[in-house]
Amino acid sequence: MKSCLNFKKVVLGGVVMMLVMQAGFVWAAEAMSSFDEANQSYRDGNYEEAARLYTRTLEENPDSGNLYYNLGNAYFRLNKLGLAILNYEKALHRSPRDADIRYNLNYARGLLEYKVEDKRNWYMKAVEAFLQYFRWEEVILGTLISYLLVVGSWVFVLFFANGLPWGWGRKALIVLFLISLIFLGAKNIERNMMRDAIVLEKNVSVHYGPSSADQVAFQMGEGLKVYVMDRREKWSRILLASGESGWVPSSQISEVVG
Amino acid sequence: MHTPMKILLFSTVMFLSVALGLEAGEVVVTASADRNSAKVSDEIHLTIRIEGAQGSLQAPRLPGFDGFDTFYTGRSSQISFVNGRSSSSVEFSYVLVPQKPGRFTLKGIEVQVEGRAYTTGPINLEIVEDANQVSRTQTQTASYTSASTGSSQQTIQEPEPVFAPGDENIFVKATVDKTTIFPNEQVLLTYSLYTRYDTRYEGFEEEPGVSGFWIEEFPPEREVKRETVRVGGMRYVKAEIKKLALFPTTAADYTISPGKIKVSIRQEPRATSIFDEFFNDSFFTGGGFFARRENRLLEPPPIALKVVPFPSRGKPEDFKGTVGNFRMSASIDKATVKQDEPVTMTLVIEGEGNIETLHKPDIPELDEFKVYDADTASNLYKSGDVIAGKKTFEVVFIPVKAGNIRIPKLSFSYFNPRLETYQTLYTPEFVLNVTPSETKFKLPVALSEKDEFKKQIKVEGRDIHYIRERMPPRDINVFYRGAIQGILFANILLTLLLGVGLFRDHQERLYARDNALRRRRRAKAFAESRMRRLKSLMHSKDPEKSNRYFDEIGKILTQYLADKFGLSVHGMTEYDLERTLTDTFGSEDPLSKEILELHQICEESRFAKAQVSESLKQRAMKILRETIQRVEKTRR
Repeated sequence: MKSCLNFKKVVLGGVVMMLVMQAGFVWAAEAMSSFDEANQSYRDGNYEEAARLYTRTLEENPDSGNLYYNLGNAYFRLNKLGLAILNYEKALHRSPRDADIRYNLNYARGLLEYKVEDKRNWYMKAVEAFLQYFRWEEVILGTLISYLLVVGSWVFVLFFANGLPWGWGRKALIVLFLISLIFLGAKNIERNMMRDAIVLEKNVSVHYGPSSADQVAFQMGEGLKVYVMDRREKWSRILLASGESGWVPSSQISEVVG
Repeated sequence: MHTPMKILLFSTVMFLSVALGLEAGEVVVTASADRNSAKVSDEIHLTIRIEGAQGSLQAPRLPGFDGFDTFYTGRSSQISFVNGRSSSSVEFSYVLVPQKPGRFTLKGIEVQVEGRAYTTGPINLEIVEDANQVSRTQTQTASYTSASTGSSQQTIQEPEPVFAPGDENIFVKATVDKTTIFPNEQVLLTYSLYTRYDTRYEGFEEEPGVSGFWIEEFPPEREVKRETVRVGGMRYVKAEIKKLALFPTTAADYTISPGKIKVSIRQEPRATSIFDEFFNDSFFTGGGFFARRENRLLEPPPIALKVVPFPSRGKPEDFKGTVGNFRMSASIDKATVKQDEPVTMTLVIEGEGNIETLHKPDIPELDEFKVYDADTASNLYKSGDVIAGKKTFEVVFIPVKAGNIRIPKLSFSYFNPRLETYQTLYTPEFVLNVTPSETKFKLPVALSEKDEFKKQIKVEGRDIHYIRERMPPRDINVFYRGAIQGILFANILLTLLLGVGLFRDHQERLYARDNALRRRRRAKAFAESRMRRLKSLMHSKDPEKSNRYFDEIGKILTQYLADKFGLSVHGMTEYDLERTLTDTFGSEDPLSKEILELHQICEESRFAKAQVSESLKQRAMKILRETIQRVEKTRR
């Protein structure tokens, strides 16, 4: 009787496992099919439908740089430059070394009505460009690996080669770890503190304070990249690369990360 | 440093040196003069030669050489093919006019080629006094000539001048030969000095402000034109001290600021012309041995110039802004060739105008030929008040088809400002008899070595790149998450291991410094461990086991105390024990007595024949425990 019960449990477990796996396959197949459908709509020139289908696929697979890239292309064809640039930026966060994404992003930026002169120091620009070449996960992984190497070599020496002097190899590992820590800190600032956002409205008035009653500081247009410095209810304080700053309604911009 | 490291370092340095040396060796810049000795105001021709440079080059600007006036006279470029190898060179020509005698060393001239600076070697020049110079005016000096001497020079009535502030005895006028011109048309800017003093021209204190103009400077005349003129009722000596040819680049209204001219004068206006004979001599020009000289800055008033745009009517399509009066000739080096064999066409455009900005006639896309630019050479002539010159273009045509094929007429259009019309010149049409060749077209080796002969890819339009048609791999994100979690877990484990390792290492160091420390620290644990094993013996009725019990208790006590007090276990007597306990607890301490009692019980029980009671065993165990607790507290 006892063995009979065990057999039933095994069968039941197997059935549940198969159902779960099948659900996974069905989900993957659906995602594939809606992606292919979106591509077909794009090929047919039905960019509205392509954008809708890419957006739906993204809900199921939100970490795909390629999906954001395709969505950006669909918005570009619909002449929605702000949304196109936003999605290229999102794609770039996920696939930072993808040449096609960079090309399309630069091309779309070239068509914008407004241009912001980047007045930051050359080293700030260089640091930002360097940081943007790596994913957040890659930086974390790099830091963890460098820590693993430092601690691993230390443990090895303690347990297996006690008394071994600190040679240049282990010193270099420590320097590497410190550099990766600095890199991690900088990436964290770039990702979480200097939150970049894209202007989505055609014309946006930037105010000196977080209300429409405050005086207008300057005008800017769709597709421009801004840095969100502060958030209030319905208003965001933004900073441009030229050094200009002000407040805009949060609904008129969209953050790239988040 | 290890020997292999040295070798590696040495090899790297050698490799870099050779690589850099080779790269630097590609471009060679030299400067040479046609002679090393000359008389004052002779012309010395200086040539800067640049070999192996790619692309177009700008004429190097000479630094100011003290004691010389310098003038740019043109450029020439050559590309030659010898034994299948090509070489190119560009020569820039200058004229140096010495202003004073002496030995001079012209420092190296810096030339920028492809973003890198090259410096030529120094040139030594020896300048001697010209014996006939005394009677000439090469140093551009003017001197007042009194009317009373009855000068034979022509006297002309001049319009009212703008006098130099404060002194109407000396002033400079800057004039242009026309005030309304077309872009790229020559306008002559002349500086005339009017003086009633014994005067020496020292040069420009402030260069003229002529931005928006291409400038060509005229060399000084061997004989400065000098005449006596009457201005505002006063006689002056007038001398033309400088001439510039200006070519405006765009149509606009310009105001030319003529700059500031420095002269030195003898203070008193001269009454006679007795010194005229000697005014050019540096000693006598000083106004005599006892005379004082004074520097003056003369600033002619600004000049307004109107540059009008080219007329749009009748403007030829190939007009590229060339202005002047030109003639063109063309020739080819052979009329019968094999397929893929180069034919060189030489085009010569000659005439008055800005030769440097003159463009090669457009060559249309020809299906029958591959066309490549070869040499370009230009020569400037400065005759009278006009800039003229000759520009030669060499174009290589390589026929890719056989038969009688034609090089069509090429056109060159320019604007003639005198006639105010556009004019177009044509080359003749050349017919080539091309015999067929079996081999397919291939760029000749000599040409393929030079990048400038390769055609550029032209982007005809721009658009975004296409979408991705494959589902992106989800695994990459799973990989990142898994890798981060795995390595994080490994790091935590390693960190704990590191902590353990460091603690162990620290302990080992302490033990290494104090041998007894390890025994002291482990004494209690060791004793308790042995005491646990005694429990089975405690309740045994077997006399042998009882003996073992007390024997073991004695050993535990002895071992513990020996470990704690750093004594040797072997040969530890009751006396040693008593002395140690007395030192630690004092002689009156009950525990000391109990320990001694326990020691006695153990000794006696080991050799007892009768059965030992269990209460005695418990008593022994109790004393042992209390002893350990007490000693632990005491030692802490």
